[in-house]
Amino acid sequence: MKVHVDGVELELPAGTSAIDAVFEAGGDVPYFCAHKYLSPVGACRMCLVETGSPRKEKDGSFVLDDATGQPKIFWFPKPMASCTMQATEGMHIKSARSSEVVAKAQAGMMEFTLLNHPLDCPTCDKGGACELQDRAFEYGYGASRFGFDRRHADKHYPLSDFIILDQERCIHCKRCVRYFEEVPGQEVLDFIERGGHTFIDTEEGGLPTGFQGNIADICPVGALLDNVARFRGRNWEYDHTPTTCTLCSVGCSITVDARNGRLERIVARENREVNEAWICDAGRFGHAFASERRLTVPLVRVDGELQEASWDVAIAAIRAGMTRHNATDLALYLNADSTLEEGVALEALADAVGSPHVDHWPRYEVSLDAMPNGAATLSDVATADAVVVIGADLGEEAPILELRILEMLRGGLLPPEYAHGTAIADLRLVERPARKPEKLAVIGKETRLWQHAGIRASSNGHNALERLSRPDTAELQAALKLLTDSEKVIIILGADVLNGASGSFAAQLSELATRTGAKVLAIPAGANSKGLAALNLVPREGGLPFARVADAPAAFISRLDPGVRARGLTIVHDSHLTATARLADVVLPAVTNYEKRGTTVNLEGRLLELEQAALSAGEAADLIRTLTAVSEALGVRAPVRGLKSAQALAEQKLGLRLGELPERGVIHAFRSSHVAPTEQTHVPHLWTERMQPSIQTLIPANLQPLPMLGAAPVGGDD
Amino acid sequence: MTYFADKQSLVADIFSRYPDSPQGRRSALMPLLREVQDAEGFVNGTRLDEIAALCGTTATEVRSVMSFYSTYHTLPTGKYHLQVCSTVMCSLAGSDELWDHLVETLDVQPGEVSPDGRFSVQKVECLGSCGTAPMMQINDDGYYENVTPSKCARILESLHADLQPLPDNPVPVTVNAEGRQVLASGEAIGASITGLGQLPPITPGGEA
Repeated sequence: MKVHVDGVELELPAGTSAIDAVFEAGGDVPYFCAHKYLSPVGACRMCLVETGSPRKEKDGSFVLDDATGQPKIFWFPKPMASCTMQATEGMHIKSARSSEVVAKAQAGMMEFTLLNHPLDCPTCDKGGACELQDRAFEYGYGASRFGFDRRHADKHYPLSDFIILDQERCIHCKRCVRYFEEVPGQEVLDFIERGGHTFIDTEEGGLPTGFQGNIADICPVGALLDNVARFRGRNWEYDHTPTTCTLCSVGCSITVDARNGRLERIVARENREVNEAWICDAGRFGHAFASERRLTVPLVRVDGELQEASWDVAIAAIRAGMTRHNATDLALYLNADSTLEEGVALEALADAVGSPHVDHWPRYEVSLDAMPNGAATLSDVATADAVVVIGADLGEEAPILELRILEMLRGGLLPPEYAHGTAIADLRLVERPARKPEKLAVIGKETRLWQHAGIRASSNGHNALERLSRPDTAELQAALKLLTDSEKVIIILGADVLNGASGSFAAQLSELATRTGAKVLAIPAGANSKGLAALNLVPREGGLPFARVADAPAAFISRLDPGVRARGLTIVHDSHLTATARLADVVLPAVTNYEKRGTTVNLEGRLLELEQAALSAGEAADLIRTLTAVSEALGVRAPVRGLKSAQALAEQKLGLRLGELPERGVIHAFRSSHVAPTEQTHVPHLWTERMQPSIQTLIPANLQPLPMLGAAPVGGDD
Repeated sequence: MTYFADKQSLVADIFSRYPDSPQGRRSALMPLLREVQDAEGFVNGTRLDEIAALCGTTATEVRSVMSFYSTYHTLPTGKYHLQVCSTVMCSLAGSDELWDHLVETLDVQPGEVSPDGRFSVQKVECLGSCGTAPMMQINDDGYYENVTPSKCARILESLHADLQPLPDNPVPVTVNAEGRQVLASGEAIGASITGLGQLPPITPGGEA
């Protein structure tokens, strides 16, 4: 399809919108209401362009221009919104670059948009990263002719604990309303009133927790703001670090914004393959722990009390403590959200000292990597014909996977990609999309996904798969029929079925997958369980699993909190003074995953990079550096001394080059997978105590309320 | 006590007018709102939730639709709900003075009901009776046109006595098969492009 943009001829795929055609031609169109992953509606009218098309005679030949002999272009009489207009064969498009009419129309629209927009920029959190600010500068008149009082409305209207609305700033682009309707499928936000009185509100008594934070990202102005990060810094003051979230095994792309060494804000970053443009509320708002009550120096137990010490003193304390033990007695346990490099370092140390007590937690005791039909990716889930979720509470285990399933229900339309990025307006996406709940079967406990599923079967975890193979109820029969009859099917397995699953479970699942042609996506227990399983980080011959840490002669516990100590020397490596740390002999300060470089492996088997955010953590160290200190205390030469040597060792062991991964990550199939009994069950829990944002602590308790005008009388025009 | 609990046949009748699909069910929103408002004078939060549940949507959506139309009320209205047109034509012809007069004499503000429960007032946009400005509508009964101070006084006096004068023009406007606007009696009124008859002479001050 040939399209002419500002006189330049382009070859574009059919279905391209006019706005994408202009961007593809290297041009620019201002827009507020269009969003890459939402339906285009043409609400803001900023993306006006002039368009014209050739017209055909009845015999199929083009109407020719008498003067030039070329097909005559019939221009629309007025500028058109380019986000809702499809580019067609031979279409001519003029953007502001080549059309004065368009430039004037856009400046005029900008004037309308700014009529009631307050001049809050100096105090607005969005300032510096505001689409309206940028576009007003680029396309506006530069001066206001509006000499009257602007609309006044509520400026501090909390929609929920996390999101605060400034009604004056809203430009009614409807992105947030469409987001809730189209993405999480919750119709909780809408326009109230009309015309100049329109404002955004909910009648549901707040926004549902789960995915509400995304509306702060997509708001083109400062109307919807992240209440956790509100007034914590200006956009140009933040140190922006693009990294990967490791709260669950999805591995969403995020940007960590730190200021003065504090983590103030987390925003979503686009990754078409993983999280599109969305992240969950836990990932966005649950970062309080990164900056609060951090351990910054090692602690050593002296006379029964933990006292601050230097690393040298801590190493000496470990050395002294280890005189009562053999080096092989030291159990080594790490959290399963540790990076692959850290896992490599710990495995190498365990090999070097010969300790059999090695484990990572949380994990399951079954490996489902070798399933027929290959591994399922998140894009596979979004474009599947049917999904069967068994024993998973996705809200706790992998929230973004839930959004990808909902994407599947509304047709699995992934916006196409152009040289300028994801399509700004994908015309196949429509407002209020029709959903097909019959494509989703949920087997297990009642969860948030339950209400979206057409087939629901209550079941407890351990026999759910067996019952599905030999269905005994109508619902299970329907689910099995869905599996058998559909073309592209994905089986998603969660904690309820994976806890205690064994080899026979894998065989049974493999048989079901072969029979139905389904791909299997097992949600790993920890953020990087899938990567760490490729390393020999499970109890070796005679080794104690993490569940029996209390029986270990001596233990090094990295960022895990079992609440008990080992029999002998207990070394805890953690970012906070946890219950376990309080019982320890030596506490070494750890960095959080926001401050690490390394690689994590998500539930698809995708390698994703972590970057180091500029957080102040005192003398805290990651596991690799901490293990060199432990090695020194044990009197062994540390086999891995830094990130580079860990990556070199990983290349040797796994045949895998880490360190220079593409931004979207790469899928890697690990050759080996280590499993061993865990002796405890894993209960997935996304929001932990330390993640709760402590908004209250920011307000002094003795604050006097300011004298305020009485409440406005209830009612109004409606 | 829910409003529609004992009106299943009515609810079924309303839903039967729309396609039997999730989208179709949502279409029943407007008649359900109208039903509640006609019975109770306004739609409160409980009724909002009830209608949302019936339509398979959320209260937010119901409120969004409801607040779009100035004819749905979220607050109680009086026995006589006076809707004064405040758009340009009426405004030029003195609707602002009419409004001030009503608010002062009845001692009632928008959103309130006068102490005797009789009156509530509302400013509305153009009701399409510009030729007879200023005008107001009482409840859904009809248009009171050319409301001069003396006519206003006459209307209020009758309303205080609970003797509502007949409106100058009834609503809703009914249209016959020939496309002519007709009164309840069947008498054709107004003009149409097919029957350009002489319009009745306008009586200043009306007959109220």
